[in-house]
Amino acid sequence: MSRKASDFLVKGIIYLATGITLSVLLFIVGFIFVKGIGLVNWDFLTRDFNEKVVYAFMESNDVPLGIDEETLSKKNPYDKRYETHLEGPIYIKNIGAAIAKVAYKNHSTEREQFVITYIEKDSPFHSVKDSTGKDIKIRTDYIVQSINGNDFSGMTLAEVAEAIAAESGELKVKIVQPGGGIKSNIITTLYMVLLSLLVALPLGVFGAIYLTEYAKPGRLVNMIRFAAECLAGIPSIIFGLFGMAFFVVALNFQISLISGSLTVAIILLPVIIRSTEEALKTVPMAFREGSLALGATKLQTIFKVVLPCAVPGIATAVLLSIGRVVGESAALLLTAGTVAQIPGTLFSPGSTLTVQAYYVAKEEGNIELACAIGIVIIVIVIVLNILSRITSDKLDVFNKR
Amino acid sequence: MQAIKRKKQKERIIENFFLICAFVAVVSVFAITVFVFYNGIKPFVSNSYPLWDFLTGVEWRPGSNMYGIFYMIVGSVLATFGAILIGVPVAIFTAVYISELAGSRIGKVIRFAVELLAGIPSVLYGVFGLGIIVPYVLKISPNAQGESLLATIMVLAIMILPTVVSISETSISVVPKEYREGSYALGASKIQTIFKVVLPAARSGIMTGVILGIGRAIGETMAVMLVCGNPIAGIPTSLFDQIRPLTTNIALEMGYASGVHQELLYSTGVVLFIFIMIINLAVNKLVKAKVGS
Repeated sequence: MSRKASDFLVKGIIYLATGITLSVLLFIVGFIFVKGIGLVNWDFLTRDFNEKVVYAFMESNDVPLGIDEETLSKKNPYDKRYETHLEGPIYIKNIGAAIAKVAYKNHSTEREQFVITYIEKDSPFHSVKDSTGKDIKIRTDYIVQSINGNDFSGMTLAEVAEAIAAESGELKVKIVQPGGGIKSNIITTLYMVLLSLLVALPLGVFGAIYLTEYAKPGRLVNMIRFAAECLAGIPSIIFGLFGMAFFVVALNFQISLISGSLTVAIILLPVIIRSTEEALKTVPMAFREGSLALGATKLQTIFKVVLPCAVPGIATAVLLSIGRVVGESAALLLTAGTVAQIPGTLFSPGSTLTVQAYYVAKEEGNIELACAIGIVIIVIVIVLNILSRITSDKLDVFNKR
Repeated sequence: MQAIKRKKQKERIIENFFLICAFVAVVSVFAITVFVFYNGIKPFVSNSYPLWDFLTGVEWRPGSNMYGIFYMIVGSVLATFGAILIGVPVAIFTAVYISELAGSRIGKVIRFAVELLAGIPSVLYGVFGLGIIVPYVLKISPNAQGESLLATIMVLAIMILPTVVSISETSISVVPKEYREGSYALGASKIQTIFKVVLPAARSGIMTGVILGIGRAIGETMAVMLVCGNPIAGIPTSLFDQIRPLTTNIALEMGYASGVHQELLYSTGVVLFIFIMIINLAVNKLVKAKVGS
């Protein structure tokens, strides 16, 4: 084969390989967006993952409808992903609210349910207590399931309206707060990011300061560098095992927010140390010398001259770290659990977005929902990517000047 | 005098504080090793389970007190090997394209894409595998399920791409220009120069990338867990057989295991840890060799 032909062939293979790499990326991102986008809407971001049943206690009180029928019929706070309108709405005076019947269908359940579509200003729904006497808030997308023990399942809307209207005095209404959202996972992820950075950022930045500003080359520095490299190479499931043995069991923190964030903080250490070190190294030696020549102490030089110059680099470290925490799953699976709830205390469990995506894909076989969560994760990753590009460019600009 | 002395003292204290912060990394590595090894070696030291049976067994049935991980080691190694076989050539050719053939603007775009690929959490690769690769494998598989060695290899091959691409690309782009010019001056074509001069010169960097890719593949958990099938026994004999890598064994059962069962999950971690340590040492040696030359 002539040289030209063989060169042409090899070139073709190179283009093909690059094409494969690019199309794999496009395919994965495309798959996740196409599969999941149907489930992403405002409700998805603002609702809890699990449905919550509450018993609402209130005093019935006749309230006339304050808006006209047409406006009322236009109010449809349904979850458009899962709910389709069947009947109504009908306004019921003694609870001062309108109810409509909808069909509910997600990947595993199908049922009919009654959704509150409108609550009048003076409605008794505004002064509701739960069984412990605590005030609770009833919103317009909540579902009513029974009143004073009279269950609505199988009824038509007219029958339900009649059943409610027939009651008076003290009412006990079974209400379901709809689920299907990832609010709790978003908040858990946020907590996890904040807590782990709170621990890892100072340790990492101060450690990097020691390595670049104080340490003399030698055994100690090599040891620290080697340790940081080792940490970077350990797979996250091993961190999970350690977190389980140390934080969860030995320190008895249980599977919790604190166990998870401390485990992740260790994972972040090498990331932060490395990027901060890089940033500190880009600060010209002359800056330090100038500061020292003006009579500043070493510490003053570091905090007043070197660190401010390295801020973009540290910002990059923070952004990379956030990406790591958002993407982390194996370690958190073992240390923070899979409960979709907002952790009430440091010692209660909660699942981050990524863990939740795993959970719904594996345990519920719900690829659509996993992809919908994936969209949120990918958007976060892209934003972080772009931001870190900007901050690291800032560092370069400073250096060129 | 007093003030200066106090200032100096303060500086000393803070320097030591910085040292302690830096030392946390060392302490962490030490603690991780100690905790995982301590828990993992316990069952063999206390004779609650024979080490030989653990390492050579091909069944993992906690219910009937059988804990063999040999078939998991085989699964891990085969999956990693397959992923390297497919992923590395694609990655190296992509790296060649980015650093040698692409214009600066296209190179930038592809580099951004590769970075993005690296930023996608592993769970999403798993979801992708479960949604696309597994059903596709099922179509051509003689078995009744698509979760298989093949699906695992495909997912892992994709996942090591960004690691190998970015490290290879960096090491290719630091090959001095003179090497290329010398080759051109001798009448070599661009492609010949790339394969006969540039790639050999960047060899150690590319090897580092490959070894890091191996590390990533063997340590990967969540993506693999969704596509590998996790059988309780059996050495994989075909690409369509299910596998249960070491990592998923830990992640699957750690949540509810107790007693010897839990300790043997730590032992699984120890075996994984040893694999990873070997890989880390190899990287370290390669990097040192590069610095030496």
